[in-house]
Amino acid sequence: MKAFGNYHPAVLMVYFLSVLLVAMFVTNPVLQLSALSGGALFAMALERPGNWARDGAFYVPLFFMVAVTNPLFSHNGVTPLFFLNGNPVTLEAFVYGIAIGVMVIGVILWCKCYSRIMTSDKFLYLFGRIIPKLSLVLSMALRFIPMFKRQMHRVSRARRAMGLYAADSFTDKLKSRMSVFMAMIAWSLENAMETAASMKARGYGIKGRTNFSLFRFTARDGVLLSVCILLLGVTLVGTAMGEMAFYYYPRISHLNVTPLALFLYGAFGILSFLPFFVEIKGALIWKYYVWKM
Amino acid sequence: MKKWLSCGIFFVVIPAVVIGGAVLFQEKQYAWITLWVTVLSCVPFFFRFEKKENNAKRLILIAAMTALSVVGRILFMPLPGFKPVTAMVVITAMYFGGEAGFMTGALSAVISNFSFGQGPWTPFQMLSWGLIGFAAGLLAEPLKKNRVLLAVFGALSGAVYSFLMDIWTVLWADGTFNGARYAAALVSAAQFTLIYAVSNVIFLLLLAKPIGSILERIRTKYAL
Amino acid sequence: MEILRLENVTFRYPKAAASAVENINLVVESGEFVVICGESGCGKTTLLRLLKRELAPAGEKTGTVFYRGTPLEALDERTNAAQIGYVLQNPDNQIVTDKVWHELAFGLENLGVPTALIRRRVGEMASYFGIQNWFRKDTDQLSGGEKQLLNLASVMVMGPKVLILDEPTSQLDPIAASEFIATLHKLNRELGLTILLVEHRLEDVFPMADKVLVMEQGRALLYDTPGQVGRRLGELQKDHPMLLGLPSAVRLYNALASGGRHPRALSDPCPLTVKEGRDFLEKHFGGRVQESGEGLPGRMNSAASHEEAVIELDKVWFRYEKDLPDILRGLSLKVYRGETYCILGGNGTGKTTALNVISGLNKAYRGKVRIAGKLIKAYRGQSLYRENLAFLPQNPQTVFIRDKVRDDYREILDVWQVPKGQQGELVERMAEKIGVTHLLDKHPFDLSGGEQQKCALGKVLMSKPKILLLDEPTKGLDACSKHALGGLLGELKEEGMTILMVTHDVEFAAENADRCALFFDGEILSADVPELFFAENNFYTTAANRMARELWPYAVTCDQVARRCMELPEEEGL
Repeated sequence: MKAFGNYHPAVLMVYFLSVLLVAMFVTNPVLQLSALSGGALFAMALERPGNWARDGAFYVPLFFMVAVTNPLFSHNGVTPLFFLNGNPVTLEAFVYGIAIGVMVIGVILWCKCYSRIMTSDKFLYLFGRIIPKLSLVLSMALRFIPMFKRQMHRVSRARRAMGLYAADSFTDKLKSRMSVFMAMIAWSLENAMETAASMKARGYGIKGRTNFSLFRFTARDGVLLSVCILLLGVTLVGTAMGEMAFYYYPRISHLNVTPLALFLYGAFGILSFLPFFVEIKGALIWKYYVWKM
Repeated sequence: MKKWLSCGIFFVVIPAVVIGGAVLFQEKQYAWITLWVTVLSCVPFFFRFEKKENNAKRLILIAAMTALSVVGRILFMPLPGFKPVTAMVVITAMYFGGEAGFMTGALSAVISNFSFGQGPWTPFQMLSWGLIGFAAGLLAEPLKKNRVLLAVFGALSGAVYSFLMDIWTVLWADGTFNGARYAAALVSAAQFTLIYAVSNVIFLLLLAKPIGSILERIRTKYAL
Repeated sequence: MEILRLENVTFRYPKAAASAVENINLVVESGEFVVICGESGCGKTTLLRLLKRELAPAGEKTGTVFYRGTPLEALDERTNAAQIGYVLQNPDNQIVTDKVWHELAFGLENLGVPTALIRRRVGEMASYFGIQNWFRKDTDQLSGGEKQLLNLASVMVMGPKVLILDEPTSQLDPIAASEFIATLHKLNRELGLTILLVEHRLEDVFPMADKVLVMEQGRALLYDTPGQVGRRLGELQKDHPMLLGLPSAVRLYNALASGGRHPRALSDPCPLTVKEGRDFLEKHFGGRVQESGEGLPGRMNSAASHEEAVIELDKVWFRYEKDLPDILRGLSLKVYRGETYCILGGNGTGKTTALNVISGLNKAYRGKVRIAGKLIKAYRGQSLYRENLAFLPQNPQTVFIRDKVRDDYREILDVWQVPKGQQGELVERMAEKIGVTHLLDKHPFDLSGGEQQKCALGKVLMSKPKILLLDEPTKGLDACSKHALGGLLGELKEEGMTILMVTHDVEFAAENADRCALFFDGEILSADVPELFFAENNFYTTAANRMARELWPYAVTCDQVARRCMELPEEEGL
């Protein structure tokens, strides 16, 4: 799995930003649905089938919550369905609510995939060039977190065995945890100074630092990057031309179904289903290898 | 050459992207512009930090305070709404300056989201926490001396954080700033905002002094 | 060729009355393996740091350190960073980044080496150190031994000519420690790397060294070959405290010397290793010992009454989570009132888990745990920890949360609601008892490892326990602190304390336990008085026992072997 994740971080970043850009800011329902379904399929490919139902149980209610509440806040539109407390609940606002729901769920799903694919090392690699010191600080913080967690555990055990740890009431809990926190802070800052020594001992601070990484930009990265930029370009140009313009207010506009518009939908469709295809292809190739063996 | 290039990016490409996007995504131009303003306002802080910060010990301390604020979030999990992140950001700023505070805030947001999920809200969290840190840095001396001020600052930063985040939620969902929706978001989050504010005050009052003395101690012991 | 030369190096910390390092003159030849030892606070670490410009402490320094003929201050910063490598004590604290590969590359990045070259060098280093299997792991997932190896590799990747190590194995278990030392030895032999090593555990390292520097109060007491140092240290002072830290063979030799008998044996060179020690004993005392009839020593009938078990485990089973394997598999154990009981065993066998179950931190899912005759479940609230049972965790730093040791002691009294007026006296009394009165007003993190350990012990003792649980109490301690800890535990035992400890340290167990037990695969395999326990082990036994077991199978400590040697008549003169 995670065949898509093997691409170069820069390519992945460009890809995710492209899809998110369209998913977040374009109002055309076809594009939004295509982003949502592409994201959902990708998320499913990344997730174990056992967790699908659990995730669904989160997204479906969220969708309805967003969709249903919109007409309560927005009274735009010209087709009132009924009146609530003297305010019109319009068809347009209702449909727009559904569109917002599609967009929100789509974006959340894509962000979820992003979090899965763009692990911290890829993130650090990308930003290591632009903001090297900050990336180093981030890397150090990531290194500290599991270490501090372990220490937190140790301190709270030590305190429990000294009879100093109580969790009966809210204030007890707060007090006990606060003292664990204090002990950890003292410990970690003190020990961090040894880390600083180790950095300096290895020449940190000499001018002309380079950034090493294990990632390499290969031909297939180049291909994906070009495809991605091309498809995004086509989609944006199409949007700029107004070919895919769509309005909810004051009256829901008609969906353009000219050949050009269909072509544009197709282009973005390919873009949003790309990672899913890559994952499926990866899985199939792997199955084939196993079968051949 | 490099300088020209970066100037070019700054004065030509970025405005072009922002304006172009605003025209292109007319329906959602407010969300689009807000996002860019947010991202771009972090940039000067980052570059200043890159240029100025050379001390390994200070870098490590910022990393450690960031990690502590994230781990603290886990430690206080059984107390709903009690997250020491804001307090840690403020304290870092009080003792190491506004820029260190900004970085601790911004990085805490990024790192928390590595486990809680990145999203379009990440830049907003970065900026909100970062600015709280930066402001605390500006007020460092009075905050150190006056506990009432510290409490007020804690309460305010809790509220401001919620208000800022809700602006984004509304903008993002609706495309325009819908007052009714914003009010509803504020009301529905009022309980959490209140807990944030109260917990910030508690954390700051309890932590500021002891952490301050730890930091001062480190500062003298390790010649910072 | 000389690589390092120290000329009249003196250093004083700001506001300190005495110099931390005083007038050191010393030459290290290229390719030498130099071991530096001395009691804690003798200035070893300060001396090492003066050799590494980036880590040099702030203070008043005179004299010059020359690296290949150039004063250290005049070196170019790249040369200095790359050619003088420095490995610190704590494996965790030295790791800067979150990925193994990034950690390896860190030093080269700092030097501005291009990516392609870093890739090659990192690959080479990973292969040499056998890191390739965990190359892409998170640094946090490594074991302590692996972490320290990574620290070494990430210094070696920069291509140092001199490697300086400050107690690199003190936080490792014995197996990881000997692997680490073996790697150092290999680097020294195969690459001709110059090594300066500060170590507490000298059993393995001492014989490997080309030179040994013994420091005392900032001065160089001796700087010579290990054999000469082993001989001369005892000559300088009969019961020099540093002797405690030397290998068992050296200690035995010096014990004979201070006894003033067996001059013929003493005319031989000082044995350094177990093998040399065994040959030495065989040569001079072999054939003169009656094969049988060696009685068991008196500690068999120790003060502990074997009637009242204060810790009793009956077929205890434990696992951390439902789906994880069992850590304790039917563990049964009885510790009697007033005895010192040592649980020995390898890493990750579940010894610490056993302590956690006994101290109530973890709950057994099957079996019974009784403390002082009462089921552990029956203790309500904090009553288990009040005047009953105390637990000193492995890392004493976890015990402190205040700015002063004194306040930490008071914390316990506050919880027990002792009136403020009485607290001061109770704290003073405890401090006096364990000998930390002079440390009461210090910050816990300013203390040395040994002092921290003592103060932490004092804190857990504030609850007036009758049972004391110790997890790896000798970890990171030098020989003198260990000796002092042994004495302290002895005193507590005199007062009727029951002590249960878990340790890797066979020497410490042999010297201080009433009974020792081997823990393996979730249960206790054998438990007996140390003399019998170690006599029956072939591998898992003390160095002294390994040297002497052919002659005296029940002699397990250096003192016991030396005493038996003394009892023999002088060799017939030739």
